[in-house]
Amino acid sequence: MMNIDMRTRKSPMQKLDGRTKLIALSVIFVLVLLFSHPAYILALLGVVMVIWWSAKLPLQTIKDLFKYFLVIAVIILVVQIFFYPGQTELIRLSNPVPAIGFSGFITLEGILFGVAMVLRLVVIMIVAPLMVLTTPLPELMLALVKLKIPYRFAFIMTTALSLLPSIQSHAAIIQQAQLCRGITYDTAGKFFTKLRASVALLVPLILGSFRDSQTLEIAMSSRAFGAPVKRTFLLDSQFSKIDYLILAVTIAILVTGIVLRILGFGVY
Amino acid sequence: MDDHPPAIHCQQLDFVYPNGVQALSSVNLVIEPGEYIAFVGQNGSGKTSLVKHFNGLLKPTRGSVRIFGEDSSDKKVSYLSRKVGYVFQNPDDMLFCTSVQEEIAYGPRLLGMDHTEINQKVEHILLELGLDEHRETHPFALSLGDRQRLAVACALSLDPDVFVFDEPTTGQDYFGGKSIMNLIDQLHAKDKTIVIITHDMPLVAEHAHRVVVMSGGQIAMDGSPAQVFSQPEKLHQLSLRSPQVTQLAYEMGFTEQAILGVPEMVEWLSRSYLSADTTNPGSQP
Amino acid sequence: MSTQDPSNIVPPAQPAQVRTYKARGRIFGMSIAVMSIWAAMYIAASAIPALPVPGMAGMITVNAIMTAISGMVLGPAAAIANAAGGIVSMILFPYGFSAGPLGFLTVTMGGLVAGLLFANKWVWAAVFELIIIGAWFVNPQSWQTGMWMVPLPYSAIALLVILVKPLRDWTRRSILTQHKVWMWPAVFLMCTVGHAAEFMTTNTLVNWMFNLSWQYWVPTLPYWIMVDTVVILASTIVGVGVLIGLKKARLPNYADTLEQ
Ligand SMILES: Nc1ncnc2c1ncn2[C@@H]1O[C@H](COP(=O)(O)OP(=O)(O)OP(=O)(O)O)[C@@H](O)[C@H]1O
Ligand SMILES: [Mg+2]
Repeated sequence: MMNIDMRTRKSPMQKLDGRTKLIALSVIFVLVLLFSHPAYILALLGVVMVIWWSAKLPLQTIKDLFKYFLVIAVIILVVQIFFYPGQTELIRLSNPVPAIGFSGFITLEGILFGVAMVLRLVVIMIVAPLMVLTTPLPELMLALVKLKIPYRFAFIMTTALSLLPSIQSHAAIIQQAQLCRGITYDTAGKFFTKLRASVALLVPLILGSFRDSQTLEIAMSSRAFGAPVKRTFLLDSQFSKIDYLILAVTIAILVTGIVLRILGFGVY
Repeated sequence: MDDHPPAIHCQQLDFVYPNGVQALSSVNLVIEPGEYIAFVGQNGSGKTSLVKHFNGLLKPTRGSVRIFGEDSSDKKVSYLSRKVGYVFQNPDDMLFCTSVQEEIAYGPRLLGMDHTEINQKVEHILLELGLDEHRETHPFALSLGDRQRLAVACALSLDPDVFVFDEPTTGQDYFGGKSIMNLIDQLHAKDKTIVIITHDMPLVAEHAHRVVVMSGGQIAMDGSPAQVFSQPEKLHQLSLRSPQVTQLAYEMGFTEQAILGVPEMVEWLSRSYLSADTTNPGSQP
Repeated sequence: MSTQDPSNIVPPAQPAQVRTYKARGRIFGMSIAVMSIWAAMYIAASAIPALPVPGMAGMITVNAIMTAISGMVLGPAAAIANAAGGIVSMILFPYGFSAGPLGFLTVTMGGLVAGLLFANKWVWAAVFELIIIGAWFVNPQSWQTGMWMVPLPYSAIALLVILVKPLRDWTRRSILTQHKVWMWPAVFLMCTVGHAAEFMTTNTLVNWMFNLSWQYWVPTLPYWIMVDTVVILASTIVGVGVLIGLKKARLPNYADTLEQ
């Protein structure tokens, strides 16, 4: 779980409206998928790193995250280096091996494209945490609602979030009960032991939690959930001048990006 | 001594939860095989935290817990569960199979017992706990009382010598509570060691042979029900009360020994009534 | 006074009012409360690593099983509950999502296709299944040697169950009546539909994002088929347990809304 105490890290990022951040980071996500040229993606990564730095977030978080994506990054790099149909031959490894589609050469294009795809992975990987680590969840939910995602959908997300601690402690009790029945949760990982353990956890967890749904439903209707009136919110957010400025720049960049792409720039 | 180690032996046991709450401090406790012991105490006094050490669900932060002589700290719960069975308050947390007999067979199967042995064991337990007519039933279709019996059956299937029950009667009606207590008494009659947590003082007086009162993560009192319940002031300080019969007898002046149940009370009353009869002949017509 | 008609005591407008509230608290026949609980369990399950799978970002978590059975438990509403749970868990535990911020789409599709099929809205199930497969083949990357094979294990069974009427009816009936024996293979098929939709969406997203060529996809296919089969088998065991339990304990589940 990403646990960084947001109150102790005041930064310009945290003062922005949730909507602004959501839009700006979505634009970065779109752009990184739009372009495939290593230079363009490197530039985007630069932007993301500047935001990361200005938000005063620790670099360690990126390293921690990267550990989970290391295997897939290596696969991407290796596959592109060996099999990308490039022209500029750098290193000759063997005769062509048509059966596996290998030309016998490692090409400059292959390396650059592999690097581009790995950089893309890195950007994709840290865009979402950037949002989350600088925005308290209630604010994030409010931003989603104000961006007109259906209220009931936002309600499900926020309710789920508030139910999470009780579900987690219920799951912990069930796991303890299973231990008492002879199940082992070996981390040394026998595949099938783990599988059996997840079965034994899910059935009582789902049945037990559904048993509580009636109570939740009563609580919801007693607070007039779904009453046909305009909702008001305890938290409110307002765009500041900075928000408008950043939104304007973001949209300009997006439009420029799309135009460049249509003109054929930034594609590899 | 080592030939007959105590069932449970806690020495200078401290336990601190990961969030820093100190739930137990310097608990020293010996439970001999065959005892019938009840843990009582206010909410949050550390009862559950203590008994979870008896089968390794929690490991001591400091001090030691030995279970039939074996140190619990490097033993797995799955291993210790064959010595100490733990029955959770909510039976539903323990059940996940699709029929009663599968549920009972689950543990023995994990232990690698062979097929015929498992069948015999399941058969035996079904009869013993009166669940044989439900053998094919889905556990969730059973009544709460039967689900609790099934949870006991699951613990029983691992053949433990000690049974721990965390609040077995909470949330049950009078007859449900009676029925589970009868079952526990039956287990005790078969030489099993019984550990129960409860808030129900009359239940303690009626069933247990020893009471441990917990307070603030420490053992505040330890003795037979008669000894513990004969100290109402001390209990009051710990926000507990003796059973009402005991209190009544105490208020009526019978302070030398705690009265634990209605039959004893009746006996005492009739005895004092009779003695009043004989020592006061003037009242006779 | 005592012989008054009871209908005069209760103003008729009131039950209607209550009913509109209730109706608004439901989506596709499932209550919002149940969907929130499902989403919460989904988030909790994302934190429990079940199966470390080399080659995949992070690991398969318990929620792969939840996605596979969601359609049978919640019907089409599974899509919404999974999406809500998926978005929040992506926020809290980003390491399980190789498709980045779009990762929630995979679990949404898993719930959607299986849920629609279970609700007998098979035309819509087919439409979404074909969108997933189509999105794979639109990518020029997928025109390379042997790339046509990749969606096959994920869509062949799913399309059969969706499109062949006797098979579809038998599968739904066996699950709805909770047939003692046939329920198992039927739940297996339904889990296959759900898991396949999830996994094929993941494949399609990864293919678009990272342009991996056939030299990755084709040789790893047998390995993935193995992993997926295990997940589907586990989901079948959980699914049967959950569906029977929900019915026996009279707890909310989509099958009940079908009977009404
Ligand atoms: N999982 C946990 N994490 C952190 N603290 C805990 C946990 N479980 C219990 N505690 C704390 O440890 C202390 C002892 O709790 P415990 O559950 O052992 O008490 P108890 O006597 O069983 O209470 P009750 O009668 O309510 O069951 C309490 O202060 C409680 O808040
Ligand atoms: Mg307790």
